[in-house]
Amino acid sequence: MNRDELVELLRAFEAEGLEYVLIGATAMGLQGVIRATEDVDLFIRATSENIARLRRALRAVYSNDPSIDEIRDSDLLGEYPSVRYYPPSGDLFLDVMTRLGETANFDTVEAETKNVDGVRVRVATPAALYRLKKDTLRPLDHRDAAALAERFGLKDGE
Amino acid sequence: MPVEKFRSGEEMNAAPIRRTAGDFFDRFVRHCARYWRLAPRRYPRGVFKFRTIDEAQSARERVSRGGTR
Repeated sequence: MNRDELVELLRAFEAEGLEYVLIGATAMGLQGVIRATEDVDLFIRATSENIARLRRALRAVYSNDPSIDEIRDSDLLGEYPSVRYYPPSGDLFLDVMTRLGETANFDTVEAETKNVDGVRVRVATPAALYRLKKDTLRPLDHRDAAALAERFGLKDGE
Repeated sequence: MPVEKFRSGEEMNAAPIRRTAGDFFDRFVRHCARYWRLAPRRYPRGVFKFRTIDEAQSARERVSRGGTR
């Protein structure tokens, strides 16, 4: 994961006023629980206006990559709440979600603001990350949940 | 708080190391970079959409294994 690319991306999110919250391993990293990852996972607020902000931010970073037009409101607000974007250059990819399962979405994930190189970054809290990960089927999520629980003294129900 | 004082080594060892989000961010990015040097990947390009998180994770695993999406 390229530092400059990631900072540029976060800066573009802020510049466009994207309503988002980082989840997944990138959010864990910003909370101090560090493991390698290939991607940047984020929830965005599920509105057409916000999805347009996402497209503008990505176009600013990725030189108007035409495939960004394929990130459609009708998908993210409809049958496809999860969209993966592999940029034409760079070594990260993005998993953009409007919802996860029946209950998790931008509005239900508790978040806080971190500062990275002067950029305000919205990041899920350790407790929110723990809740997202503790009941999934992936062994990796269980390890993440255990690491968060140990680091922050979290228990079920928190 | 740039200076912290302790009455004993035990007290110092028990004190949390204070870091900022920026410190964590840099450690995280360095860690990812090391991982990629050890295990480089080739990704497809473009936009892919999924109905469920399980679909998304299965697709990711196929790419990570070097298979087709």
